[in-house]
Amino acid sequence: MKAKAVHFGGTSHKLRTSDWIVYFVLLLITIYTLFPLVFLFINSFKGQADIVKTPLQIPALWDVAYIQNALSAINFFPSLGITALITIISVTLQVIVAALVAWMMVRNKTKLSVVLFLTFTAAILIPFQSLMYPLLNIFEKLHLKNIPGLIIMYGGFGLSMSVFLYHGFMKSVPRSIEEAALIDGANVFQIFFDVVMPLLKPTTVTVIILNGMWIWNDYLLPFLVIANEPVKTLTLQLYYAKLTSGQYGNPWELIFPAVLVTIIPIIIVFLLLQKYIVKGVAAGAVKE
Amino acid sequence: MKTAGSAAIRSPQPYSHSAVCLEALMDKFYKKWFLPLAIPAIILFVGVILIPFLVGVFYSFTGWRGAYFVGGGSNPFAALVGLDNYVKAFNSEKFINALVYTVKYTLIAVVWINIVGLTLSLLVTKISKGAGIFRTIFFMPNLLGGLALGFIWAFIFEVVFSQFIFNKDGIINLPFLTNMTQDNTKALFALLILVTWQMGGYLMLIYVNGLNSIPADLYEAAKIDGANTIQTFFHITIPMLMPAFTITFFLTLANSFKLLDQNIALTDGNFGTRMLATQILRTTRDTSPPDYGMAQAQAVIFFVLIAVVTMVQVYVTKKREVEA
Repeated sequence: MKAKAVHFGGTSHKLRTSDWIVYFVLLLITIYTLFPLVFLFINSFKGQADIVKTPLQIPALWDVAYIQNALSAINFFPSLGITALITIISVTLQVIVAALVAWMMVRNKTKLSVVLFLTFTAAILIPFQSLMYPLLNIFEKLHLKNIPGLIIMYGGFGLSMSVFLYHGFMKSVPRSIEEAALIDGANVFQIFFDVVMPLLKPTTVTVIILNGMWIWNDYLLPFLVIANEPVKTLTLQLYYAKLTSGQYGNPWELIFPAVLVTIIPIIIVFLLLQKYIVKGVAAGAVKE
Repeated sequence: MKTAGSAAIRSPQPYSHSAVCLEALMDKFYKKWFLPLAIPAIILFVGVILIPFLVGVFYSFTGWRGAYFVGGGSNPFAALVGLDNYVKAFNSEKFINALVYTVKYTLIAVVWINIVGLTLSLLVTKISKGAGIFRTIFFMPNLLGGLALGFIWAFIFEVVFSQFIFNKDGIINLPFLTNMTQDNTKALFALLILVTWQMGGYLMLIYVNGLNSIPADLYEAAKIDGANTIQTFFHITIPMLMPAFTITFFLTLANSFKLLDQNIALTDGNFGTRMLATQILRTTRDTSPPDYGMAQAQAVIFFVLIAVVTMVQVYVTKKREVEA
């Protein structure tokens, strides 16, 4: 970072005119980036008429009634709970399964390992749409068109990328520590959870963030699998709120606060963990 | 072998011999646990991806209607129709429109979103103070769902752009930026504006990583040789960023081809704005009884298109990496 500032930003510590221009441009982009979010926020406290007539004005009265209405319309707390549950279990499944297979593939340098690794990574190219109909058909026959089935699907779809990331990182982890643990009498699960997993922490952070973001916001898979369940994920609730509200002339007074309450949990998590998230996302991309 | 010493203490054998033994012991240990520990991943992979994918390719050659097979009841082998579904797909106006629309969007989006991401990264690496805050803010939209923010942008396009900013009595009269979600061409740019807003910060992070890994002495050498900023940018920065381009082009290509949530949120595929992913999802709703066979043929074409284009792209950019 600092080395770069020397090349691009000049050598003196004082801010030069060119720096002020850069700051000014960055500020404009910041306003542009934040505008839709601020816009969303101010319109979450207005009625339909005010939203449509004066969308750019700060509400005369900060009325939380619309938020309360949205909370009950999208069944917020149960939906939040189920979204969190699905995300946490799916990501845990992905982390453990992917780390286990990557560990074994790196430690066993056999042809089977190579073939397995190539198969996993080649599957990154398969878009979800090209297998979703048969997948649903099969899972329906297995009586898995429900939340457990959804979690299994996420477990499978997250696998390619997670295995790829773990495999890349695992190669740089020496096996000597595992040898020491084995000699000390640790069993295979103790070695995995107490020795291997702590070393893989940076990759685990990346895998959790990338998969967690995707599952939390995912629309299509929950739509296909659990649309008929009484409790739905937040994104799915939002979709149905928009769909049904559209029939009566788009009551934006429901959509704005509903979107607001669904993104607040993500923004809180992001602000708490931003260091890890920004680093983890970039790290994940570099290894792809 | 770092732990050979500790093994030697426990075993009476000579040092080198025990290291060999330990090596063999570990190999045996890993070999013993390979299958038991790899099985969960293999089962998930086979059950969720491999079998559905292969079944999908097979069903694209049958008269699949979801619950049954035309002419075969529940037996797909009795309902083979050859290439009929593919012929039907290529004769379907909706599919061809979606294909053309997706390719058009992808061409524009890959270029534009990368220009924005790269520009953002150059800006935030130019300053020394506050860069972290700007990076965090620019990345934030990427965390939020495409559907949720798509609804908000739909309102911005339909009301704020059309009735307050770019209309006749607005701040600047730019008819192109009004009613963007009700016109096929304008909607493509509306989609571009939304996705750039969401993805620009993500690409910026990747480019920042790339920029930071360029050795400083390259720039110093260029300065000594009297290269100007533009020369330095095209002869050092761009070639040295090739590894980053491999990733960002792959991500934007795949993301543009597969775009669904934003497409549904903005226009729901109306006014001829269906992307391929939306088209495949809606085919079974357009046809009665639902023609899953034809949907599946479109899905296979979709797969081949994405696989070929992204593989060619990775091959081309990787090759440039080596040369650079």
